[in-house]
Amino acid sequence: MFTTFLKRCYILGLFILVFGIITACSTAEDGEVSQEDKSSESPNEENGEVSGDFEIQYFVGGYGDTWWKEVIADFKETYPNVNVIEHAGPNINDEMKTRWISNDPPDVVYIDGDGASETQMINDGQLMDLSDWLKDAETDDGKALYDIFITPLEEIDGGKVYSLPLAFDTWGVWYDNAWFEQEGFKVPEDFDSWMDSMIEIKEKSGIYPFNTTGNYPQYFQRGVLYPAFAAAGGEELLNDLLNGKVEAWEREETLEVLQKVQKMQEADLVDPAFAARSHTQSQMNFLMHDNAFIPVGFWLPTEMKNDTPEDFEYGFIPTPMNNAGEPMSLVPDLRPVAIAEEAKNPEAAKAFLEFIFTEKYGQKFAESTGAIMDIKDVDLSENENVPTFLKNINDTINNPDKVVVHERKTPEGDDLDISIKISDEVKKQIVPLLLGKIDAEEYIEKIIAVAEKAQK
Amino acid sequence: MVQSKKQRYLFLAFCLVPTFVFFILFTVYPMINGLYLSFFNWSGTSAVKEFVGLGNYKELISDPMIPKTIWHDYFLVLTKLVGIMILATFFAVALTQLRIKEAPIYRVVFFFPNIMSVVIIGILWQFVFNPEIGIINSGLTMIGLESWTRPWLGSLEWALPSLVLPSVWAGIGLFMLLLMGGIMNIPKSYYEAADIDGANSWQQFWKVTVPLIWPQIKTSIIYIVITSLNGSFVLVQIMTRGGPSDATEVMGSYLYTKAFSDFRFGYGATIGVLILIVSLITVILLQFLLKREKVEY
Repeated sequence: MFTTFLKRCYILGLFILVFGIITACSTAEDGEVSQEDKSSESPNEENGEVSGDFEIQYFVGGYGDTWWKEVIADFKETYPNVNVIEHAGPNINDEMKTRWISNDPPDVVYIDGDGASETQMINDGQLMDLSDWLKDAETDDGKALYDIFITPLEEIDGGKVYSLPLAFDTWGVWYDNAWFEQEGFKVPEDFDSWMDSMIEIKEKSGIYPFNTTGNYPQYFQRGVLYPAFAAAGGEELLNDLLNGKVEAWEREETLEVLQKVQKMQEADLVDPAFAARSHTQSQMNFLMHDNAFIPVGFWLPTEMKNDTPEDFEYGFIPTPMNNAGEPMSLVPDLRPVAIAEEAKNPEAAKAFLEFIFTEKYGQKFAESTGAIMDIKDVDLSENENVPTFLKNINDTINNPDKVVVHERKTPEGDDLDISIKISDEVKKQIVPLLLGKIDAEEYIEKIIAVAEKAQK
Repeated sequence: MVQSKKQRYLFLAFCLVPTFVFFILFTVYPMINGLYLSFFNWSGTSAVKEFVGLGNYKELISDPMIPKTIWHDYFLVLTKLVGIMILATFFAVALTQLRIKEAPIYRVVFFFPNIMSVVIIGILWQFVFNPEIGIINSGLTMIGLESWTRPWLGSLEWALPSLVLPSVWAGIGLFMLLLMGGIMNIPKSYYEAADIDGANSWQQFWKVTVPLIWPQIKTSIIYIVITSLNGSFVLVQIMTRGGPSDATEVMGSYLYTKAFSDFRFGYGATIGVLILIVSLITVILLQFLLKREKVEY
């Protein structure tokens, strides 16, 4: 009797287990149905009022989440009928992947961090075309949303706009302003003065002045090579190179840029242990004055906040790879927000975007993230809560005689696949070039070989 | 009481069904799904998939990184195999035959890395290899070999060999215990007989110990090979991320880069199929090479 009961329990348990696993593993269809039911239950716009569930996905990295928490709290207050559901965290891109795969995405997504790529999302048709809406959309400040951005909105696929740039981040070279002033080191303005400065620092301090991370060669790629290519041949050269155009790689300017890198290596100015270091290790060495210059983005002071010595004063310059007498170049690394093509509450999503792109939140963004929000007319000079380095950067960016901003355009069609392969090879050959294992010509030969193969 | 046929079948089903269900769900299904995905161009983050037939396989054959990653994998497999087997056998024999008083303590000490996460091992060894504060460079400097110091994990030539050390260190304990189990099952009388016949310790090891623990040695070798081909990726990812340049890129880390950084999940799945095929061929070859008659004295 008892054995029969046990057997039944066992079979029932097994059935529940299998059923549970199958249910948990089921995808797409089931999820879609339940979401449709949910959205039909919650009308999004009643009598012009934005309402219903509104889901937002945002990555929390070097910028933290203070700004998001504040903005979302204010949005809730302004739109009390909207139920904001937040999906946030450092691994949120991975955590939300199954939602995107099963066509059940959140309404608004902030595209940043590992595992998220705007280019890929556009290519997969996951983002909504905002061009029609943008014609009339206004911010809560009453300005035309289309025109408020520092970098003009990128139109692709013949005039479609898929995202709005939120964070204006950019790579450049950092140094310790206080230390430089104390030692009388010069802040460079072009490649020649950079070399002079590094040679002087090496002679006086006995350190290798330049450091970067070899574990993540994209730091050198984005922080040195991109602005160097842009400074040498403008936006056209930069984009042609990265889209694998062989003629661009054969141009004299390209060779000159790589010869400058070779020159830094041959002058023994690059820390020989860079290839073994992660980004945080190289940044720690920089903070300890083991090195004087490091290419990183705006997030460096926030990321290293807890390790920064008290007397350390962050100084930032656009990477001085430009020739003397020519302006320096910045290639912004924009972190956009977008509305999902399959958004269930697009009205709330649009209201949210109109709500956040205002001067008030531009000021708060600079205060809490240490980066600049990509909107014009945000005067940071009077804001006491904004770090000094950011005010200086803001001034530098707005000085077109000294600095020119060039953009890396989103590759379209076949260019996308090619650009991934080129980018991989560009990164792969950085370490051998900086270690002196290959020279500038060999570097170019290797990229051309990949470009030619990819074009076939 | 004799069991009825029905009862026996029920008992067999009781033992086999859950295992079978889990095997289908967690081994067969992912394997078939991986194979299926290798025929698609898919970013891995959306519902859009484009069928490309054998396109990914054609690319795999002409991808210059693939032979490099296979070579790196086999370098790690071979060096790990030699390192672990020699050291594990040596320690197993020492701890069972040499009557060391502290043997139980050593057993725990050697097994300790096996209870640590590979991620922790990777981070720990990153510090060991650190160019400035690492124990290896500091030790070399201390004994006057400063010219030998280098940024081990940042060297195009030394990064891959440097990964062997943590892999061996982390692997010894488990195989040492496995071999110790085998050695302890050998009756003492065999060694006494060998002694009387005039065999020295070395001869006893080769003529008595090795043949009698051959099944354990064989299991260890196959296990090391399989886990290395499938698992070197974790240590690589933590310690070097396949770099510097592509000096430590193994099949697993290349798969990861393609699938999750380049958003080419279909191609990543194709590399996964390659890993499966390479592992299968290697194991079949090993089974053939390690085949020996069972020895009984």
